[in-house]
Amino acid sequence: MLSRHSPEASAPLSPRGLSVARFLDGGGIWPAVPALVYLLVFMVAPIATLLTFGFVDIDRGTVGEGGFTLSHMVGVLSDPLVWRLTWRSFWIAVVSTSLTLIFAYPVAYAYGHLRGAARTLLLVAVMSPLLTSALVRTYAWIVILGGRRGLVNQTLLTLGLIERPLDILNTSTAVLIGMTQIHLPFMILPLLAVLSERDRSFEQASLNLGASQTVTFFRVTVPMSMPAIVAGFALVFAVSYTNFIVPQLLGGGNYSTIAVQVYEQTIVVLDWSRGAALATLLLSSCFVFVFAIVAAGNWLTRWSEVRR
Amino acid sequence: MNQLIIDGVTKQFGALKVLQSCDLTVERGSVVTLLGPSGCGKTTLLRSIAGFVTPDAGRIRVKGQDISRLPPNRRDVGYVFQNYALFPHLTCRDNIAYGLVVRRVPKAEIARRVSQALDLIALAAFADRYPKQLSGGQQQRVAIARALVLEPQVLLLDEPFNALDAQLRLSMQVELRKLIDRVGITSIFVTHDQQEAMALSDRVAIMRGGRIEQIGSPLEIYDRPRSCFVADFIGRANLMPTQVRAGRTEGPQAIAAALPDGPATLVARPENIDLTPGSGPGWPGKVTFLTALGPVIEYEVDCGFSVPVRAALPRHAGVETFEPGALVTARIRDEAAAVVLPGEPNHA
Amino acid sequence: MSGPRQMISLGDRLARGMLIALTVMSIVLLVAPSLIVIAISFEPRGYIAFPPSGFSLRWYWALLERQQLLDSILVSLRISVMVMVVCLVLGIPAAFAGTRGRFPAKTAFNAFLLAPQMMPGMVIGIASLFFGAYISFRASDLMLVLSLSVFCLPFVVRIVMARLAGLDPLLDEASANLGAGKFETFFRVTLPQLAPAAFAGAAFTFIEAFDNVTVSLFTSDVRARPLPVELYYLVQFESSPLIAAISSLEIGLSLVVMLVIARAVGLERFGR
Repeated sequence: MLSRHSPEASAPLSPRGLSVARFLDGGGIWPAVPALVYLLVFMVAPIATLLTFGFVDIDRGTVGEGGFTLSHMVGVLSDPLVWRLTWRSFWIAVVSTSLTLIFAYPVAYAYGHLRGAARTLLLVAVMSPLLTSALVRTYAWIVILGGRRGLVNQTLLTLGLIERPLDILNTSTAVLIGMTQIHLPFMILPLLAVLSERDRSFEQASLNLGASQTVTFFRVTVPMSMPAIVAGFALVFAVSYTNFIVPQLLGGGNYSTIAVQVYEQTIVVLDWSRGAALATLLLSSCFVFVFAIVAAGNWLTRWSEVRR
Repeated sequence: MNQLIIDGVTKQFGALKVLQSCDLTVERGSVVTLLGPSGCGKTTLLRSIAGFVTPDAGRIRVKGQDISRLPPNRRDVGYVFQNYALFPHLTCRDNIAYGLVVRRVPKAEIARRVSQALDLIALAAFADRYPKQLSGGQQQRVAIARALVLEPQVLLLDEPFNALDAQLRLSMQVELRKLIDRVGITSIFVTHDQQEAMALSDRVAIMRGGRIEQIGSPLEIYDRPRSCFVADFIGRANLMPTQVRAGRTEGPQAIAAALPDGPATLVARPENIDLTPGSGPGWPGKVTFLTALGPVIEYEVDCGFSVPVRAALPRHAGVETFEPGALVTARIRDEAAAVVLPGEPNHA
Repeated sequence: MSGPRQMISLGDRLARGMLIALTVMSIVLLVAPSLIVIAISFEPRGYIAFPPSGFSLRWYWALLERQQLLDSILVSLRISVMVMVVCLVLGIPAAFAGTRGRFPAKTAFNAFLLAPQMMPGMVIGIASLFFGAYISFRASDLMLVLSLSVFCLPFVVRIVMARLAGLDPLLDEASANLGAGKFETFFRVTLPQLAPAAFAGAAFTFIEAFDNVTVSLFTSDVRARPLPVELYYLVQFESSPLIAAISSLEIGLSLVVMLVIARAVGLERFGR
């Protein structure tokens, strides 16, 4: 007969595995240490430098004598142009993100209703721009919107709808069109993930309760996808707000946004202190806006919090 | 000879006592089922045998050798997972070969044993398919072959029929039992389905709250449950409150009871309840509801207990039928009833 | 299709029409620009026209005579391969810790791993440029690789993490039960299942590094510009179908990569 509580049996069992085995288990943090160190050195330190450069005098890439100064920050914040450009960046981002949402939602919704080859083709259509350089796509818009020989003007002129070529390129409209198209996949993908996996029974319940398809769409489908809408909106807003390529190439030489300013101060004017101060403003204002979007979104979708 | 001895295995997850000093002995070549509601600790016990869970106390012996301190990969016990856990990146053949490959068995022998195993489960034609290309039943057979090909000391099966639909489940149960008999392997099943436990096993261990409540052959447990919980979990039972005095129950029928004097519960299966019209020796009552089940008609009779007494009467000639409202007398046929201490029945 | 159709109200039909119209417009919007660029690249004349006045490969041949462009393509290929390697080497183990590790503040840690995603490329570029200047490290191929790797790391981490999280933990137990040690389980069970995700992550990282302007503009070597930077200047100052030809090649490359990803993990899973 075995004794029930023999000392060896109740003793702690031998610790299994060496540290290598723990690595394969992913048991601790240390497989990530190289990546952590890498990010600390090549992301955190650089960004800390960037933030610091806004508060010291920089002369040809080296820190000047004066030490800490608020003059660059004050200079940036007291410049009415900076505020005007921040405002422009903001509304361009808001308008283009909203347009993106309007175009993206139906695509993501349709995806859930498609099967087989049509579904795959739609996905390819969504993904292919994502993998094509933004520069190439911006270039495409130059070709389409640009000058007398631009595709739009050519078509309209040929059709006799206009007599003189329209000036679309180098206007806010061009920037808006370009941004909307370029960021469209970023909006579609999160929506698509949620909409294609949604539980149809909620919509069927709505129809069963007498709501029309349209009412069901706006009162059930859209509200239930709110978290994805908010996520997509925040993401696209952030990339639109900080995009400097599209405004530069489609907005023309005189068109500027706060992001363009950062680029110009750093690369063209070579005033790094002002560049750093502007970049700090860009980054912090972007975070504030994104935070506001997410907060507003959460407020709109309180049910999703309640559910948890 | 005893193939597997579980002795005082105890496990606690935080404040939750999942296993409380479980003892179980499994004879060589027999099939034992751990049966109980979800959360009773049956899967944890199975996982402790395989080494996926480390018990806080207690020992597990296979063929006399203590395996409690061995890591899972050195235990020599086969395990069939609930979802089968077939490697999706390996074909059927490679899944079965896996254990032999990691044991560095020579290639020729691997090929021989794998094809043998494939024949055993009658899936030779599907050897080069991937798990995804197989049906649920086929996947289950591959999972079993993968374990059996290593000729383990014990085969552990965690709710192996859960992923199958009801139709397939029944035929696979029979198939599996035949296969186990053919191979002659000691097996332990885990299930929450009492019908499955009855059909598959030589012995059933009923678990509740981390303890093994009763062990016995299926019929033993069915006929002589030791508690209200067991009685209610296995099959259907009428639980009637009574008093024990001097080794017999009080009331219309005195039934022998090996219990001290005091309150007790009379356990009678519906098919052991007889109904006669009018009054007589027994519990008088009124038929309130009847269900025609086909082979039997089941009556609900209000005998003044908190729940109606259920009686299942066969439908052959000479057995009287009753309409709702009929006054009848209920009696336990041949004193076929068990007397247990009162307790909460299972409502899981 | 035949059979009885449900009577759908006019309003619903209008709404459905709107929805379909918007979907079609979106798809045209998504695809048309690329198609137009490809069409233009076959223009035989010296300026851009749509539809092209004929079909010629003239501008593709012209490409071969632009030594600077060819050099930049080589630079970009070299850089992209290096970035890909750095991201895989750092990203796969990190994803492991992020999904399977047990340590305090794991959520915060994972957020940090994916943080570069939240940073505009321009900020990473400028920050690297400034930090480099501060420690007297000039914009160069090495700096470009280092900064692009920061930018691209989250792609690998995210894809591998998603895959790891989707792996059935029971497979590890099954492997152990069948007699495999931790090493053997890792190499025989975990790694093979991870391979497609790592592959897709690598492909995506490669294409991202190859196309990236926002970081590269600030950290690349002035004397050996990568292709996107070269193109960035070219687009501003030149308007011949030459750019369309290069762009078409890039579009072709990205289609190939997409095909590779689709084969490896399926586009759908990748989209998340």
